[in-house]
Amino acid sequence: MSDTLDMQLDWMDRQGEWGTQASPGKQGLTLADIQVGDYGETPEHSDNMTGRPRGAGARPDSYRIGGYSVRSKHEIWLDNASFLYEEALQRQWSSATDVPWDTIEPLPDDIEQAECQLATFLTEVEFVAGDVPARWISQTTPDYFEPRNVLLAQIMDEARHMDVFRKRALANGGGLMGATGGTAGVVGSIDLARDFTEMSSRLHISGEGAVLTIFRMGEMMAYNDAEKMMYRLCAQDEARHVAFGVMHMRYMSETAPERREEIECYLDEAERQILAGSQNPAGAQAESSESMAILLGGGKDKYDEGVNKLIAIRRRQLQEYLKRVRSAGFGDRFDNGRSPIKDMIAAAAA
Amino acid sequence: MAKAKEKAPAPQVPKPGFKWMNRTNQWDTRVKPGKHGLRLGDLNVGIYGDIPEQWQDQTRNPRGAIAKRGVPPLGYSIRDKADIWADSAADLYEEAIQRRWAPATDVPWETIRPLSEPVERAICQVLTELCQYANCDIETISQWQHQMAYGYHEVKQYLATASFDAARMFEAYRKRALSNGGGLGLEGPGEVNRMILESRGGWSEAVTYLFLMRGTFTMTMLRYLEKYAYNEAERSIYEKALECKARQMTYGLEHLQYSIAHGDERRAIMQTLLFIGDRVWNREMKDHVLREALSIVFAGDLVHAPTEGYAVYKAMMGDFMHAYMDTCKWLGVERNLEMIPASMTSYLFEGAGSRG
Repeated sequence: MSDTLDMQLDWMDRQGEWGTQASPGKQGLTLADIQVGDYGETPEHSDNMTGRPRGAGARPDSYRIGGYSVRSKHEIWLDNASFLYEEALQRQWSSATDVPWDTIEPLPDDIEQAECQLATFLTEVEFVAGDVPARWISQTTPDYFEPRNVLLAQIMDEARHMDVFRKRALANGGGLMGATGGTAGVVGSIDLARDFTEMSSRLHISGEGAVLTIFRMGEMMAYNDAEKMMYRLCAQDEARHVAFGVMHMRYMSETAPERREEIECYLDEAERQILAGSQNPAGAQAESSESMAILLGGGKDKYDEGVNKLIAIRRRQLQEYLKRVRSAGFGDRFDNGRSPIKDMIAAAAA
Repeated sequence: MAKAKEKAPAPQVPKPGFKWMNRTNQWDTRVKPGKHGLRLGDLNVGIYGDIPEQWQDQTRNPRGAIAKRGVPPLGYSIRDKADIWADSAADLYEEAIQRRWAPATDVPWETIRPLSEPVERAICQVLTELCQYANCDIETISQWQHQMAYGYHEVKQYLATASFDAARMFEAYRKRALSNGGGLGLEGPGEVNRMILESRGGWSEAVTYLFLMRGTFTMTMLRYLEKYAYNEAERSIYEKALECKARQMTYGLEHLQYSIAHGDERRAIMQTLLFIGDRVWNREMKDHVLREALSIVFAGDLVHAPTEGYAVYKAMMGDFMHAYMDTCKWLGVERNLEMIPASMTSYLFEGAGSRG
């Protein structure tokens, strides 16, 4: 082996745009700060099949590594992905040390069982939002790395949710109970979506939206500071995931109007399942709705009081869903008679 | 025209049956937090800690819960413990969470100062290739994660942290490349990336290429880059990246050890994979771009790059080859030096590297 390297240095003339000087702002050096020059230009369609970082110099002889199916910007983009990602990084938490587990005290058996049943359900369903985005990440060109990074943060969040509810089930003299099959591989489920926006409408807008309402009202069914903290921290995460879905749907609506009718169909489907859907813990599924009613009422003997609160939660789920879909640019459906949501809200209020 | 809406369902709550009550495989479980809080591994008590050799359930039934009958399967293809497991997964998951960092605020960006153009170009080139390595981590882990059965949730959870770590690395390398008057470099050849991503024979095969081969090389390179960093920002990035990669390596190597312990055929397959992988690796390392860029970074200027910088590069490659061979030996995968490309083994005898 030679002691001296024969330098060619030809690569110095084949690099990406030069002279880039991104500077940190008061939030540090964020992803938004590095959207400068060519590096901030996200192509409407990506022909990058080699996995090169956006803006890097291309080699004509580089291997095609990506079987990327998501290569059009409107299929996955959202305008605030950088913000959501940076926020996710700043708001990471630990279920081991940020939840005051020592505040848990023994509970009456019916309450503990209800707590454990709900925790079993949430352990079961939370990682659907880890498994499914993962599959889409590997199919998305790195030219759209900002939304990919948000989805990677979501997978991390969901791992923590799966973990925190398992911890709760096993921390207070109870245990796991019966699984519900709430995320089965059936037509119309989150897992089987064939298109990213279809998946996002099911996962982020409908599914996680419904769960977010419950987490936000978690204090109503929490019996100690540990449970309150658990719901509060999960709600923070879930709000980001829902925001991803809303902002992506808005972008899709504005940039690919030819797909609006298709998206309306996804929303029709979501609305058919929004109360009865097995992924909604406040839905009609006995295991989770009954356990929630016990927790909300304060015991099995106060089940009816719990049911009234559960109906209030359902009403709020619908109201929040309506606001999100309006924000995403699909509010017409509530005014032109297509959506039953307004009637459902009225019925829930009666 | 809008479709006719369906009749709004009334908010029915079925009459309670409470059939789910008293249905548990094990009750009276009371796991208490220790001095490090309530950790994932602490939960492995009683039946909840029984991790079967095979997990046939293809639903999201949490381990230890009562399964529901008649649930259509989700198609998890990795259902054997030997194909996925490492005992350290739960601890690595908790460690990753405790050591979380944000490139935006945890890297002292203000310490970056202008560098000579050749050095800045070289650093940007190295970072571009590191970005691609991180991208390969992301895409490889993501394409396997959803195929892993729920019974081994500790591994799924650890890998969630590993792909998030890779996102951070991708982000931090890109930020550095774009913050000092430079830009991204030329993309890498991509042959090793393709080999890793195409390892469809199973997760253990992907781990062999992603962690044993690429991971060992990346760790070695990051150690040298940390040593030759030009400012605190770079040093901080490489230190954080090393922490993340060290967890990946711990999981990956422990998994391979576990896998090999479950069948001699697995060991033989790994030997074949490495035989092929060495050749792909060797072809990619003949590409002059990364070699030249690293030599410039290590030398500190263009003048000394072909001699002093290149000497450091060769020492780095020597360290990599020693670590790679030592790890294969530790795993019990015998490597015949004569079967490894000479241009790789030559680094074993070239310089002492950082081994003295």
